[in-house]
Amino acid sequence: MSQTEQFGSRWGLVLATLGMAVGTGNIWRFPRVVATNGGGSFLVAWAVFLLIWSVPLMIVEFSFGKAARRGTVGAFAKLSGGGTTWMGGWVALCATAIMFYYSVVSGWCIRYLVASLDGELKGESPGTLWSKFTGSSQPLLTHAIALALGVAVVWFGVRGIERVAKLLIPTLFVLVIILAVRAITLPGAVRGLEFLFQPNWGNLAHVDVWLQALTQNAWDTGAGWGLILTYAIYMRAREDVPLNAFLIGFGNNSVSLLAGIMVLCTVFANNPGAQSQIVGAGNEGLTFTWMPQLFAHMPAGGVFMVIFFLALSFAALTSLISMIELATRVLIDLGLERRKAILWVAAAGLVFGAPSALSIKFLHNQDWVWGVGLMLSGLFFAWGARRFGLERLRRDVVNAPGHDLEIGSWWSFLVRVIVPVEAVVLMVWWLWQASSGSEHLAWLNPLREDSAGTVLLQWALAIIALLAMNRWLNRRLENTERRSATAQGPNEGGAA
Amino acid sequence: MSVGAMVTFAVIGLYVWGGFLALLTRAIRREGEKERSSS
Repeated sequence: MSQTEQFGSRWGLVLATLGMAVGTGNIWRFPRVVATNGGGSFLVAWAVFLLIWSVPLMIVEFSFGKAARRGTVGAFAKLSGGGTTWMGGWVALCATAIMFYYSVVSGWCIRYLVASLDGELKGESPGTLWSKFTGSSQPLLTHAIALALGVAVVWFGVRGIERVAKLLIPTLFVLVIILAVRAITLPGAVRGLEFLFQPNWGNLAHVDVWLQALTQNAWDTGAGWGLILTYAIYMRAREDVPLNAFLIGFGNNSVSLLAGIMVLCTVFANNPGAQSQIVGAGNEGLTFTWMPQLFAHMPAGGVFMVIFFLALSFAALTSLISMIELATRVLIDLGLERRKAILWVAAAGLVFGAPSALSIKFLHNQDWVWGVGLMLSGLFFAWGARRFGLERLRRDVVNAPGHDLEIGSWWSFLVRVIVPVEAVVLMVWWLWQASSGSEHLAWLNPLREDSAGTVLLQWALAIIALLAMNRWLNRRLENTERRSATAQGPNEGGAA
Repeated sequence: MSVGAMVTFAVIGLYVWGGFLALLTRAIRREGEKERSSS
C-alpha cells in the first residue's frame, strides 16, 4: 500500500512519538517505583534495561512501520508472513484495550486540572474530591471528553497529530522542568534527592528490583506496544531509524527522572514523615489525593498544582492520541475509510471504556490483564523480526540510506536472545507474584480483579478469537492492498 | 546529601539527560547536513 500521508519533518515524528512515550506512567508510577525499590540502585537497573529492552524494540517497531507502511496487523502479515497476522492482532488488541481505560485516566487528569483551576481542591480535605468524583457517574463524562479530544486530533490525520505534538510536547517538557526546579528549591528538598539517589548496592542482588526496573521500561517507554510502529508508517522515505529510537528512549527517561525529582522532593519538603504512606498509596492515591495536599502546603502551591495537572493532562492526551491512531490505522488497513474508522474506534472506546469509568476495580483488572499482555506483545515483535530476518532488517531498513547511527550486530543478538528471555521472565514473574500468597487455587479465580486466572482467561479468549480470524484478516488485507494498487496505478509501491 | 547519592545523581543525570541532549544535538546536526546536501 503506498503512503500518501507523512510527517512534515523529522521533528514532527520525534515529538509525536515522544508524546506517545511520555504518559502518566512517567509522572505517577516512576517516582513510586523508584522510592519503593531502593532509589539509586534501582536507577542503575532502570538505565541498563533502557538499552537492552526499550531501544532494541523501538528499533524493531520503527523498522516494521517504515518497511511495511501498514498498522500492526498488516505489518506482521507483510513482513513476518500470513501465519503471524494474529500476532499483529494481539498487539493491536492490547493497545486498544489499554486505550479504553486510558481514556478514563485521561478524563481524571482533565477533571483535576479543572478542579485545580477553579480552586475546588483548596477547600477539600485530601481524598474527598477523589471519593466524591469516583463514586459518581462524572468519570463517564470526563472519559467521553478525553476521548472526544483525542478523536478530534486524529480526525485531521497525521498532520493533526504533528501539529498538536509540536505544541504540547515542548510545553510539557517546560512544565515538568518548572515543577522539578521548584521542588528542588523547597526547604528540605535535599532529603528527597538523597532518598531518590542514595544507592543501596545490596538491592541489586534482589531479582525483584531488576524485574521492577524492566517492567518500568516496558510500560513507560511504549516499546513493544505497536504505537511507534503506527507513527513510523508516516515516516519520510529516507528518515533515520536508529537515532530516532535512541532519542525517544532517552527523552522519555529524561522526563521520568525529572518527574521522580519533582514528586519526591515535593513529598520530602512538605511531609517527610508520611513518605512511605504517600509512595505506597498507589498511582491514584499519590496523584489525586496526596499531591494536591502537598501543593496546598507550598508557597504559590495553587499555581504549581495547576501546572502539575496541566502537565499530567498533556502527557495523558498525547499518549491517548497515539492509541486512537493505532486502532484507526488497523481498521484502515482492513478496508475502512479513515473517518469511518475513527468513528468506529470512538464508539468502541466510549462503550468499552464505560465499565472502567464506573468501576475502578474493573479498570485495575484491565490494567493488570493488558499491562502484562504488553510483554507478550514485545515477545511477538522479537519473534516477528526474527521471522523477517534480523540481519536483513538491520541491513535494509535500520541501516538504510538516511540513517544517522550505524547499528551493529549487537542489536540482532539482543532481539534474538535477550528480549525474548526478558519477556518470558517478566510474564512468569508477574503471574507468579499474583499467585503467591493467595489462598488455595484463589489465584486461578478469573473473577478476582488481580488474579493470574483473570489474565490467563482473557488472554486465552483473545488468542483463540485472533487465531480463528487469521485467514479472514489476511483476506481483508489483501483486498485492501489490491484496491489501493488498482487506484494508484502500477508505479507506486511501499517504501521498503 | 551523602557522597554516594551525589555520585549516583551525577552519573545517572549525565547518562539520561546528557545522553538525551547529545542525541538531540546529533539529530539537529544531521538534519542540517541533510537539508544542505538536498538543496
